[in-house]
Amino acid sequence: MIVALAGNPNTGKSTIFNALTGMKQHVGNWPGVTVEKKEGEMEINGTRVKVVDLPGTYSLTAYSLEEIITRNFIIEEKPDIIVDIIDASNLERNLYLLTELLELHSKIIVVLNMFDEAQKKYNIDVDLMSKILGLPVVPAVGIRGKGIDELKEKILRGKFNPKKVEYPEDVEKRIEKIEEKIKKLGLEPARWYAIKVIENDVEVVKKIKDKGARDILHLAEHLRHEIEDIYGDDIESVMTSFRYSFAHGLFHEVAEPINVGGVTITDMLDHVITHKIFGIPIFLAIMYLSFQFVFLVAAPFQDAIDLLFNGKDAAGGHIPGLVDLSYNWMLTFMPDWLSSFINHGMLRGLGAVLTFTPVIMLLFLILSFLEDSGYLARVAFLMDSVMKKMGLEGRGIIPLMLGFGCNVPAVMATRTLKDENERKLSIALNPLIPCGARIQVFAFLSSIFFPSNPALVLWSLLILSMVVVFFLGYIYSKTIFRGKSEPFVLELPPYRMPTMKGISIHMWEKSEGFLRKAGTIIVGAAAIIWIFAALPWGVEYGSPDSYIGMFAQWIAPIGTAFGLTPEAIISLIFGFFAKEVVIDVLYVLFGSKDAILASMTWAQAYSFMLFMLFYTPCVATLAAVYNETKSKKFTLFVILEGFFLAALFSFTFYTIFTLLGVGA
Amino acid sequence: MLLSELKPGEYGIVKKIGGSGAIHRRLLSMGLLPGAIVRVVRISPLGDPIEYEIRGFFISLRKQEATNVEVDKIVPLSLVPGNSEVRVIFIDGGVGFVQNMGAMGIAVGKILKVIKPCCPMQVQTDRGIFTVGRGMAYRVFVR
Repeated sequence: MIVALAGNPNTGKSTIFNALTGMKQHVGNWPGVTVEKKEGEMEINGTRVKVVDLPGTYSLTAYSLEEIITRNFIIEEKPDIIVDIIDASNLERNLYLLTELLELHSKIIVVLNMFDEAQKKYNIDVDLMSKILGLPVVPAVGIRGKGIDELKEKILRGKFNPKKVEYPEDVEKRIEKIEEKIKKLGLEPARWYAIKVIENDVEVVKKIKDKGARDILHLAEHLRHEIEDIYGDDIESVMTSFRYSFAHGLFHEVAEPINVGGVTITDMLDHVITHKIFGIPIFLAIMYLSFQFVFLVAAPFQDAIDLLFNGKDAAGGHIPGLVDLSYNWMLTFMPDWLSSFINHGMLRGLGAVLTFTPVIMLLFLILSFLEDSGYLARVAFLMDSVMKKMGLEGRGIIPLMLGFGCNVPAVMATRTLKDENERKLSIALNPLIPCGARIQVFAFLSSIFFPSNPALVLWSLLILSMVVVFFLGYIYSKTIFRGKSEPFVLELPPYRMPTMKGISIHMWEKSEGFLRKAGTIIVGAAAIIWIFAALPWGVEYGSPDSYIGMFAQWIAPIGTAFGLTPEAIISLIFGFFAKEVVIDVLYVLFGSKDAILASMTWAQAYSFMLFMLFYTPCVATLAAVYNETKSKKFTLFVILEGFFLAALFSFTFYTIFTLLGVGA
Repeated sequence: MLLSELKPGEYGIVKKIGGSGAIHRRLLSMGLLPGAIVRVVRISPLGDPIEYEIRGFFISLRKQEATNVEVDKIVPLSLVPGNSEVRVIFIDGGVGFVQNMGAMGIAVGKILKVIKPCCPMQVQTDRGIFTVGRGMAYRVFVR
């Protein structure tokens, strides 16, 4: 048995889905597109039921990916039952989708979710609604698990005798004419096809054209013009109006408003949160505090994981970590090189993945909170006119801001963007935002090379990255990632206190996917880096005699054009693994701060930082990019883009300063 | 006039949805249909987009998109000052509510004279002088 969940966005659909399936769910993508598909399983009295969560949509037109997926699923996969999750506190508009579903399927269960909230606005007569529709209607409060048992019961034993959405006589007459012809073509449901072909629905028209039934198209066009003439408006407005008046009528029949007017909490909050003057500062403050929270909470975990794996250099000597212990233990039964490969290569790589985890999970926690509470929609409202210039909608600011924390969750957060091209644009820009790890390295290097004003140097790099991101976004959006300029009609849902359970599930869904898929890539990359840093066997790890060192010396003549020393190049190669490692590598190679200071002029140091600002994102970020786009070409593009910008800025800077003869 | 020309706090009744393709369809499916009432809630701090209330929920539209919607400016009866004459354009409610108002002579197309402003307000209709509560006056739109 297959049950499909449909409904508007922001109706608590995923809460109901979680309540039904528990942890037995699988998140993937719909075939061929990057729209998320969630499936799960449940058992009701011994009957196994597959639950499919359809994308949240307002209607079922052929104009957005989500809507096409939803209706095609219903037509092609023929689920046994559709559960339409309705936000009962916003009944009228939610009922509109039901009118469209009624034309597609006969077994629909209506769930009036957030019923408690709705009861503050109006009295809803559930039985009357069920009687009028001829469908089971279940009041529910998803976050408290209320109504779930009744829903399960109705899935097994509900009675369906659905009412048809009726159009006026002169329209019905014309629908019937087409319906007869559609039946002969064997398309089901015939009435739906008939209505859609009259409405000039591009997908349906194409399907009928493919069947070679041009006569139907001609007839439909003729009938369409007749209807437009009778009602004096375009066909889409006319037909949508009829369905809406069905929803409107039903709404007024079953719901009696309790009080009208009055100020809601959402309205009061929005008064401040989207305030003309305070709105944007509040947004910046929230982001700042979020980062503070993430790094404050994550730091001890990260330190602990690092200590566990890598041990610590203490006054009394090196305290061994898991890597050292396991290395020594394996030495007892395998050759040195193999033990070193397994432990210094792969196990250390696993450690690196795990140290990433707290930051990633916490950033996702924040993101889930912002999303579920309704604040994300306000951010979109606040920032839209800035982001529009970069070819993004307002929500596009979120992944960019998250990038300052870590590019990995940031790249994954681009999922909040609906348009495919906007997502690609946003992913291509994200690695250019310096993440926490890079900022840490910049802060360290600035304090060594520019002791009089390290903050200014750090700021110059941050500002440069923002300017580059903005201009590149502007250029990309006009050229390679030109969006279809989808209409940006954004719902501003009422604020809701997210439940701990809800955001934990969201956080876990997002983090788990990354850890499983990207984890393997990172461990693999760590192993490869080990090979080049430790061979030929016998050299000191990562020293100029290793393959990495040899490569660095070989490429050094090119490096001089950018002011990069061989040691700097080695550190950059290791930085590909994780950017914060750059400092460690410099320490290992030079031994002390003074030696690092002596190894480069300040112009070289700044050029080095410019290079590091943009050159290839780290392996974890690349894994996320690949994971999100499933395109090797795109991932390669991101790498090349980074190297191009790195070379451009560091070369220009270094050349100008050597020509001027300063900083030598 | 165009929806984008209304100011925060003002109301409009939709006359026609223009545009084509995706934007046309999207506006319709959000319930922006001829006859629907729209209120301008607020403008984004940076001037665009604009938040609107429609059918009890809130959406944000870019100015560019709002120019696709043609509206007539209307006022809820509750905001009409004393001593003015107005014409009823729309009554927002079910059959019962419309009938109740009709019994007082408040129906679409009729002229009312506001004697005392809200609330409660007194209006003179062709059936006499009636007192109209705040809740009711909110749902009668006039011009």
